[in-house]
Amino acid sequence: MGKVRRVVLDVLKPLDPTIIELAQQLSGLSGVEAVNISIYEIDRRVENAKITIEGGDLSYESIDQVIQENGGTVHSIDEVAAGKIIIDDAVTPQD
Amino acid sequence: MGFFARKLHELREYSDIASIGEIARRYFAMNAFDGVLTIIGVLMGSYTARVQDPTVVIVTGFSTSMAMGISGLWGAYLTESAERKRDLNDLENHTLTDLSNTKIGRASRVAVVVVALVDGLAPFLAALVVLLPFFLGGLMGDIVLSYYASLGMALAVLFAVGAFLGKVSKENLIISGAKMIGAGLVSILLSYFLGAR
Repeated sequence: MGKVRRVVLDVLKPLDPTIIELAQQLSGLSGVEAVNISIYEIDRRVENAKITIEGGDLSYESIDQVIQENGGTVHSIDEVAAGKIIIDDAVTPQD
Repeated sequence: MGFFARKLHELREYSDIASIGEIARRYFAMNAFDGVLTIIGVLMGSYTARVQDPTVVIVTGFSTSMAMGISGLWGAYLTESAERKRDLNDLENHTLTDLSNTKIGRASRVAVVVVALVDGLAPFLAALVVLLPFFLGGLMGDIVLSYYASLGMALAVLFAVGAFLGKVSKENLIISGAKMIGAGLVSILLSYFLGAR
């Protein structure tokens, strides 16, 4: 089976632990090379984050476990790239 | 990372999540202050009633300190645990998940224990320090000296608590300490005039 190299997740998480701590923990997972978290909506106690993770061999289970341990919930998996290299979605005439 | 370093790191993380430091500081100052003023009451009561036996002062003071410690521990555990549960429930209503087995849930439980310990130990230890001259009564000789030394110790502890608060608020430590001493002096004078015959 091919290796997962990039996942983009839509996550709802409490304000604490902060995204700095979450990013540090996610980047510490084996197979992860880079993590980017950006917040696109903030509520009184929670925030919506777009988490992009790239690496040579990502384990979705361990990523989800870290997110849950920090009180977050994955609302959707918005993008996945797997295989020998990372490719972006192709532009089609419909776009 | 060693066991203790890991635990310390965890505790620091929990402290950030559950804001343990802030509330523990507040409880520490408030209850150490309470503890010292209560013991000043015990000391002044014994002094004006002309208690000459140091054992009586020690037993009364120690029982009072212990009662304050238990009251702090028990009271803070129950109130803090109720508040934290309410807070966690509120957060769970936002995330729509059970957070009890997450880092947030654990931080909340650790916060209750730490805050209860601070709340119980602060008045107990502050009161014991003030009573120290009576424990060393044999060295003092005259009990009046023990009374004076204890009251002096009480004012010193009050100054330390005030200076601690001054450090927290980044104000002048001496002024902040002096404000605390003021409370001690008012308490000493009032007890003295009440008991004066």
